[in-house]
Amino acid sequence: MKFALIALRNLARHRRRTLLSMLVVAAGAIAVILTAGFVRFSFEGLREAIIHGGLGHLELTPAKTAGPTGPDRAAPPAFADWARVRAAAEATPHVLAAGAALYLTGVASKDDRSAAFVGVALEPDRERRMSLEVKLRGGANLSDSPPPAGEDQVLLGVGLARALGASPGDVVTVTAMTADGTLNALDTRVAGLVTSGLQELDARLLKTHLATGQRLLGTDRVSSIVVGLDDTARTEEAGDALARRLRDGSAEPLVITDWRARAPFYGQVRALYSGIFWFLGGIVFVLVCLATSNTLLMSVMERVREFGTLLAIGTSRGQVALMVVLEALWLGLAGGLAGDVLAALLVAAINRAGIEMPPPPGAAAGFPLQLAVRPADFVAVVGLMVLVLAVASVLPALRSVRLRIVDALGHV
Amino acid sequence: MPARFAVSSPRVLFQARGLRKRYRLGEVTIEALRGLDLDVDRGELVVIAGPSGSGKTSLLNLLGGLDEPDEGSVLFAGAPLRSLTAAEKTRMRRRQLGFVFQAFNLLPVLSAFENVEYPLWIDGVPREERRRRAEEALADVGLGDRLRHRPDQLSGGERQRVALARALVHEPLAVLADEPTANLDSRTAESIVDLLARVNAERGTTFLFATHDPAIVDRAPRTIRLADGRVVDGGAR
Repeated sequence: MKFALIALRNLARHRRRTLLSMLVVAAGAIAVILTAGFVRFSFEGLREAIIHGGLGHLELTPAKTAGPTGPDRAAPPAFADWARVRAAAEATPHVLAAGAALYLTGVASKDDRSAAFVGVALEPDRERRMSLEVKLRGGANLSDSPPPAGEDQVLLGVGLARALGASPGDVVTVTAMTADGTLNALDTRVAGLVTSGLQELDARLLKTHLATGQRLLGTDRVSSIVVGLDDTARTEEAGDALARRLRDGSAEPLVITDWRARAPFYGQVRALYSGIFWFLGGIVFVLVCLATSNTLLMSVMERVREFGTLLAIGTSRGQVALMVVLEALWLGLAGGLAGDVLAALLVAAINRAGIEMPPPPGAAAGFPLQLAVRPADFVAVVGLMVLVLAVASVLPALRSVRLRIVDALGHV
Repeated sequence: MPARFAVSSPRVLFQARGLRKRYRLGEVTIEALRGLDLDVDRGELVVIAGPSGSGKTSLLNLLGGLDEPDEGSVLFAGAPLRSLTAAEKTRMRRRQLGFVFQAFNLLPVLSAFENVEYPLWIDGVPREERRRRAEEALADVGLGDRLRHRPDQLSGGERQRVALARALVHEPLAVLADEPTANLDSRTAESIVDLLARVNAERGTTFLFATHDPAIVDRAPRTIRLADGRVVDGGAR
């Protein structure tokens, strides 16, 4: 306790130098907190964009058409018992809604223009209840109720609409292969234009009502059921509950795939960003360590005679080293806390400023910067700075314990 | 040269035989002590006198276990210092010796009370006992009313009194003082010497006191004179 007090007073002795060192530590803490906030914001933003962009949290697929990343979209729809499974899923805790999905591919034509599409037929009312986002860029969303024959509607990706020269209200002919292998075509009206946020997908995207999709493919089956939850953190828990509920009740074996498995892109982005974060963290660690180690070493060299006196009157070398290390730990603690305060102010200012970030690679639109900082970050960064300073104090502490007493006492 | 020990009497606190110490300054080797013999009894107040460079500080460093001789040996309270481990020497300095330095060498961040309390604290003495003994030690040197003052708030004489209190608070067998009055005016220096003499007389603490101040040498009950690293007067009995 006494050594901690002495260490604290020694820091107070050279206020300006201590303040400068604290600023270095605080700058390191701020850099780590802001970077962590940005990286987490990116992770969370990407995760929720993926989930609410149409993926949902879970997807139930008949085992015979299930792949490692969800349903095989090229396979004919195989889910016959889907209405009963959907009802069971919607009765599971934390499930907002469950909606059937029918994946289709084909060709869309308008006048003399044609383009291949990758489409999905779904239930718009349930999509809304799942908080799955429809990013309209013109026109209106699909109607909730199943359209009668002859009044089918589609939503076109902005890129696909551009390729076809189609606008809301235009008629587009949609052609696809039915489940039994024959070609079928439907005249549909363009209800609206949408974006997925990804330019490549927008060039092929087509969405329609489940009833239209089934009419086009000549089937009453669906490809899968997409499940939306009230909290992404409960994905695993809800998946387990759903598996238990469906184990006895389903006539056909089902595979439950969570959003993470269906979005390998997310894992890749996360790995990349994490790598960048740890690299930056490493640079901050080294910079703070070098800067403070030099200051601590200077402080030791200025007090050589003092250390000599302490050793002469019976202080052990370990106790002298402890004193140096404690000074460093105080510096880490104080600098870390100062960094916390400054970082909190900066985070609040940045989040209020509404800074618009440019579109990420492949994305169609930018996004407002919001740093996602957690209270645990502030605690962790103080711990990190204390650790950095502990490492930085090794050399100065070794220098202090290696002093020859008589040389130290004669040091000027 | 092998050490030549006389049979150590229980009265003898320090016994040095054949002490040699050399220092290198670049290419030059300086022989600070050249085969020095010395006996100091318990309870003695001994002044080690000599001009600058005569080996006074080197001798005190070797007697206090702060440095190792190149040749020869030192017995302290019958124990050869060479046989002690570093930890044992640290413990010996902490419990059985007190040190007073020319430049006072107080910890500037501690108050007078805390400076005096420090040796007791590192030795694990309980808080209440530390407080009582530190206050008594400061009162003994006439600084009972300066407990909370930091060294920079004290005069030179007061700082040296604090240093003396720090050297005495753990009731050591001996106090080694290297030019303790060199930075003081003559009147203050005299009062410090009076204080050392009083403590020596009252408690029987052994004092080895390096100085080249003739006024102080004249008052010493025993003086060991050094010149060129050798005892020229008053060494072994």
